[in-house]
Amino acid sequence: MTTSSNTTILELQEVGYRYPDGSRGLDQCSISFERGMRTAVLGLNGAGKTTLFLQCNGVLRPQTGEVLIDGTPLNYDRQGLRNLRSRIGLVFQNPDAQLFSASVREDVSFGPLNLGLPIEVVRDRVEQSLAAVGMSEYADRPVHAMSYGQKKRVCIAGVLAMAPEVLILDEPMSGLDAAMQTELAVVLEQLHNNGMTIIIATHDIDFAYQWADRISVLEAGRCSSTWHATELPQVIEQLKRFGIGVPKVAELHRHLVDAGITTAGDRPPRSHRQLLHRLAALRTVQL
Amino acid sequence: MLIEQLSYSNRWRRVHPAAKSVFALCGMVAAYLTHSSVVAFMMALLLIAVTCLGAGIPLVSYVRVCAAPLLFLLVSGATLAVSVGWQDGFPWLCLESSQAQLFAASHVAGRSLVCLAALLFLALTTPLNDLIALLRRIGFPAVLTDLMTLCYRTLFVFVEATHDITTAQASRLGYTTPRLALRSLGIMVASLTVQIWQRSLALHQAALSRANDGPLCFLPPGYPAVAGSLFVSILAGCALIALAMVRI
Repeated sequence: MTTSSNTTILELQEVGYRYPDGSRGLDQCSISFERGMRTAVLGLNGAGKTTLFLQCNGVLRPQTGEVLIDGTPLNYDRQGLRNLRSRIGLVFQNPDAQLFSASVREDVSFGPLNLGLPIEVVRDRVEQSLAAVGMSEYADRPVHAMSYGQKKRVCIAGVLAMAPEVLILDEPMSGLDAAMQTELAVVLEQLHNNGMTIIIATHDIDFAYQWADRISVLEAGRCSSTWHATELPQVIEQLKRFGIGVPKVAELHRHLVDAGITTAGDRPPRSHRQLLHRLAALRTVQL
Repeated sequence: MLIEQLSYSNRWRRVHPAAKSVFALCGMVAAYLTHSSVVAFMMALLLIAVTCLGAGIPLVSYVRVCAAPLLFLLVSGATLAVSVGWQDGFPWLCLESSQAQLFAASHVAGRSLVCLAALLFLALTTPLNDLIALLRRIGFPAVLTDLMTLCYRTLFVFVEATHDITTAQASRLGYTTPRLALRSLGIMVASLTVQIWQRSLALHQAALSRANDGPLCFLPPGYPAVAGSLFVSILAGCALIALAMVRI
């Protein structure tokens, strides 16, 4: 399991949280997120992924343990929360639960205006973040006339306009068709290339294996394991026990290696495309 | 929904809402000032022409939108023009009317028609969001504009939720008999009530996560040639008021 280092930007230490109705949110959960890295948080429904993210953003407050940013415990007063939320952006799973205004441009401006930025700066940020998610041409359209995927992009733009250091996305791929998922993955890749720390919750272990640098598994409100994505082929049996599935590419590649068709290599393929390239290269060598 | 679609797709969508509001307001003032039903009908026709020819609202859509208020106006006008009286013989009840009643009915109908045309001009050319932004800009209480913003947004969310639930119920024969329909309706209302509660909590959390701790703030929309459009609308509004003073 990976331990926290001096590049840790966000960390939860033994955080416990129960909702007012008594249901479990987090239970002694310890997890850390590295600066500039892409982390995928996997877990079954009810494992505590959304609660974890609400804790990271200061929407919920730990009942036990503490949340640290840059090694310092969160400050929950008004100014402290404003600073935190300007650094940690959170995109919720359901776009209809996040969009306030019926106008795209207005909604994207909501966050930066809350930070007290001057109008001209906000105007620039709104245009830039809409361009970053490819929604500039939809800026004057009403939100209710948009598809689910477009609404998700508007939500991301609304958080990007706050220029956070860490972008947290709760199930960003759910409800999107394959083409939209590819487009969103491109947007995430661009943000990562610009140095942003990205954390996503997902059920899709194939996407997590292909996209993430680190993978954490949440189980019954606590972080059970964290691995570098490259370690996943070695822990397939453990993944099976968690019930979150195993990366099909890693499993298939292992079978191909076992059958002597290909070699293990230094860097096992992490996507379907990479595996196909590997097989195509083998065919070329045999010819 | 038709009004909503037209307000976003008309030719004058990007004209400043203040200019359109001033013109609509002048139309209503003119309706109040006019003493002639003929002039009132002329003004109503003028406003309809401005809406359809100027803003490019299709006449068919305009008729569809104003059909319901027109029906209401027709009923109101008829009850003003005609009154029920008693007579000695069978069937004892009779309909009566007088010159004064007809005059009053045409006068009220004319004024109402102008007000309706002025309001439809504003509603069909200006999205509600732009009007809320205008109210926010002129210093309307934040609590009311925030409520309007959230209601306007959630209206569409719940229309969609209602549609989804109704479709799901209908696909399982939920509306085949009046009794089942009543039961399905009750279940839907109960489900929507829970959804409203859950969504209000989610919206609150979303607002917090985006650093909101006070009134909702949004970027005011920008419009081209604001001074020019305001000048033209004031001029056109004054012309309407002047027309209202004409006695025929």
